[in-house]
Amino acid sequence: MRHRNRTPDVMAISEHELTVMTNDLEQIHQDVGMPAMNRALAEWTEKSRSSRRGFLIGAGAVAGGAVLAACSSGSSSSTTTTAGSGSGSSTAGKLTGDLAVAALAASLENLAVAAYGDVLTAAGAGKLGTVPPAVATFVTTVKGQHTQHAQAWNSAIVAAGHSAITTPDAALVPTVNKAFAKVTDVTGAAKLALTLEDVAAATYQSAIGAVKATSSVKVAASIQPVEMQHAAILNFVLGQYPVPNAFSPTKDARPLTDYTG
Amino acid sequence: MRGRLKLSRSAPEEGRVDVDPNAMTSLIEESQDLHRDAMASTVPALTEMVETGQDARAHGLVDPDESRAVAARRSTMMTGAVFGGGLLAAAGIAGALEALFASPAFAASGADVQILQTASSIEVLAVATYKTALTLPFIGGASANPVVKAFATTTMQQHMQHLEAFNAAITGLGGKAQTNPDPVLAQVVQKAVPGLTSPGPVVALALELEQGAAETYVADVAALSDANAKKVTASIMGVEAQHASVLLAVQALLNANAPQLITLAPGNVANLPAAAGSVGFPDAFFPTDQARPASEGALS
Repeated sequence: MRHRNRTPDVMAISEHELTVMTNDLEQIHQDVGMPAMNRALAEWTEKSRSSRRGFLIGAGAVAGGAVLAACSSGSSSSTTTTAGSGSGSSTAGKLTGDLAVAALAASLENLAVAAYGDVLTAAGAGKLGTVPPAVATFVTTVKGQHTQHAQAWNSAIVAAGHSAITTPDAALVPTVNKAFAKVTDVTGAAKLALTLEDVAAATYQSAIGAVKATSSVKVAASIQPVEMQHAAILNFVLGQYPVPNAFSPTKDARPLTDYTG
Repeated sequence: MRGRLKLSRSAPEEGRVDVDPNAMTSLIEESQDLHRDAMASTVPALTEMVETGQDARAHGLVDPDESRAVAARRSTMMTGAVFGGGLLAAAGIAGALEALFASPAFAASGADVQILQTASSIEVLAVATYKTALTLPFIGGASANPVVKAFATTTMQQHMQHLEAFNAAITGLGGKAQTNPDPVLAQVVQKAVPGLTSPGPVVALALELEQGAAETYVADVAALSDANAKKVTASIMGVEAQHASVLLAVQALLNANAPQLITLAPGNVANLPAAAGSVGFPDAFFPTDQARPASEGALS
């Protein structure tokens, strides 16, 4: 294959037009996406206030963990927390039920935010070689969206009277750090990012079948397609077919034991 | 831009791109291998659904009251769902379908089945639309961009698989497979066909359908009561969102008069404008305001 060099004059116009379009899209995001998410979170929060057990009805950690673990490749562990703690949403300091899934999701989002932050730092230090403008925009925008995802999950956790999850998924941190240490260029960074996006999307997809509250389903369902879109663009950036599956898999979903230990 | 948006700029004619056909074929084969892996997680859900549905029918477990309750939940989710200024908005169908949704006979047929039949009807229309698009010389012919042509071909096949999955889920729950297109959207597509004279309008129409499908399925997973139906739908919604993402990027490059950048050639990313890095995912949280009414494509 060979690609053509872009024509500076054409792209100067294109850049402007695309920037305008991006601004439009950001406006739409504020108008459409956020209100929908806020409604789901408000519903969740209201349930929490009316009954702390609202999160947990029929949603013991074992149930969620079993589904997530079953969908996770290479994970033979099972959750160590117990279902039906009954009195609330934590057992031995750990959240249970839907809140445990929220905690896992928040930790994955924190990991993504940290990873993309590391990419930006490395790029700024010139450690990744020449960074194409589209990649810089991608990393910055996606990092912002993952930050919003983490905030969404944490808002539900905090509303239930618990502390926000501010640390990344501890089970994945060593693997990601090891992989990132080998990254020397944009392609390597994109491949690592693609792995993280695939894991996040698969985990959310599993979570949809694991959580019990409809509001929890709504939150997970509103984020999974966005992670899938991140993955599609990363595939395009890597020169790979952007929609490789007719059905999104769950084999890379993280088990709830990532959070519960 | 999202499917609902209309740009004042007209799309340029698509340019030719030098892409190695063998490499493209290899990528598609690789994609199909991955697809087979993905199917491994969807098939068990469908199988379990079929067995559960057979068991439920054998024991008369279909509860009309529960069906009505689920239908009501989905209806509530649709409240305030007003389409934007796009083609789908022109349909103006919310009111008419609201009455249909309230039909007792409709609700009694099973809310999950209704939702799934509507999903099937959307897939039927998507398959037909891509099939039609591929007959156009600038999409499926000699003058087409190879990546666009491959995307249209593969996406049509993926929608065929989605249709099969949804219909398998329907029959598993004791319902009748839907093989007809969404009646409202079909009219929208029919009206759009005469204007499909260049890649731009085709991409815009496909984007509208993909965005609508993805939003519908995102809404569906919260409304479906059957766990396996929920799993199947969840495994498809993100794929439609990816289709929309690709179409957003393609649309942006067409509108920027840079069709030569619609390629999977290695190193192409260096040529992409900065905004191309974010145009494919406009929302941090996927919206549902364009979700189709649950009963729109259901069989009465």
